[in-house]
Amino acid sequence: MNVSLWQGIKRMFCKEFVLGLRFKAAWAAMFMFALTTLACVSLALQGGQMEPRLAAALLWVIVFFASMAGADRGFADEDTAGTLLILKLYGGAQPVLLGKMLYSFFLLLVLAVFIVLLFLVLIGVEPVFWGVFILTLVFGVAGIAAAGTLLAALATGARVKNGLFSVLMLPVILPVFLPAVYLTAGALGGSDTALNYLGGMALYDGLLIVGASVLFDYLWYED
Amino acid sequence: MGAVLGGLTLIIAGLVFFVVPPAEGLGDYVRIAFFHIPVAWVAVIAFFISAWQGARYLRSGDMLADAKSAAASQLGFIFVILATVSGAIFSKLTWGAYWNWDPRQTTIFVLLLIYGAYLTLRAAMPAGVKRAKTAAVYALFSFLTVPFLVFIIPRMYFSLHPSPVINGSGLAMDSVMLAVLLAALMDMTGIFYWLYKKQVMRIMQEER
Repeated sequence: MNVSLWQGIKRMFCKEFVLGLRFKAAWAAMFMFALTTLACVSLALQGGQMEPRLAAALLWVIVFFASMAGADRGFADEDTAGTLLILKLYGGAQPVLLGKMLYSFFLLLVLAVFIVLLFLVLIGVEPVFWGVFILTLVFGVAGIAAAGTLLAALATGARVKNGLFSVLMLPVILPVFLPAVYLTAGALGGSDTALNYLGGMALYDGLLIVGASVLFDYLWYED
Repeated sequence: MGAVLGGLTLIIAGLVFFVVPPAEGLGDYVRIAFFHIPVAWVAVIAFFISAWQGARYLRSGDMLADAKSAAASQLGFIFVILATVSGAIFSKLTWGAYWNWDPRQTTIFVLLLIYGAYLTLRAAMPAGVKRAKTAAVYALFSFLTVPFLVFIIPRMYFSLHPSPVINGSGLAMDSVMLAVLLAALMDMTGIFYWLYKKQVMRIMQEER
């Protein structure tokens, strides 16, 4: 079945979206993780104020680990259901990767919005520079989605469970995580932030997408 | 080769402790640098070799390239631990704290995490083509962090580290110090190469 790359990505995204709505485990795990963690922090603080730097670090730690609770399921669920082989037969490598990546980006973006809303309500901080804050969130989530999709495929192929995904993710995602904390702290505190870090994050996101696209073929096609 | 390297290491150790003068501002603590800089250099070189051999494996499917990639990572992990520990001791003696997330400490820490993740991945899979392919993909994917480690991190955080010593713009080094440091760098690179050859052979034998 010959379809254009964009058509393939769109179909893959729709499939993931429908399955995500039908089997809500990934959504539920991520959202409940975020809710529980934020509630714990808020309870511990009891209305106490947080420094922007600390608040930014906390926000990104929650975004990162909440995404870890569900981002690795993209390929693992297919493998468990036995549909991975069918996908390999009918879907090309690039539409599958990019479609899953797009869905992961969408899912994590919704999760990030949820976390930010809770964060504003429960922790009581508000960004001074909304533009920088939102762009940092988008670029940060894009990086996690790009790296997460390839590493989810890698971890599934390796048939290894129990925490390997986070071990593989952290070193690769630190170049997104560290500038994100830095920029978010600036946006929350109203201090001057080096906006070229946003460019750096976007560039690294691009690098991750291209790198994932090139390397995924080696994981997808058997010898 | 082992005997030559052993002799050279003893000579360099003698030079470091008895010939090299104390450095201005750092005193005798500078002697740690003659171990710390070479092991950190080798840790970085091993990272490049691991990624390069990973790429070679993906292109050719040659299991020797996979063994080379694995050997470089295994040794790189040991060298990066040595660099981290010696750097932390130097940091405590000169700046009063073992760890302060200085840009170079951050870089070496990311390298430590990458090596750790790569080796965990390999340890979790049975030997064979699948493991070789998966490990090579991860080695190359983690290599994407290099531009960030080189260009972004140093601009993000304040550093207490002396500037690069080889170009003479940072740590005040006289010619004796510089000569001994270059000799130590070559010696450590030689030790790595010697161990690397042995490790590659060992891995190939294990996988046969």
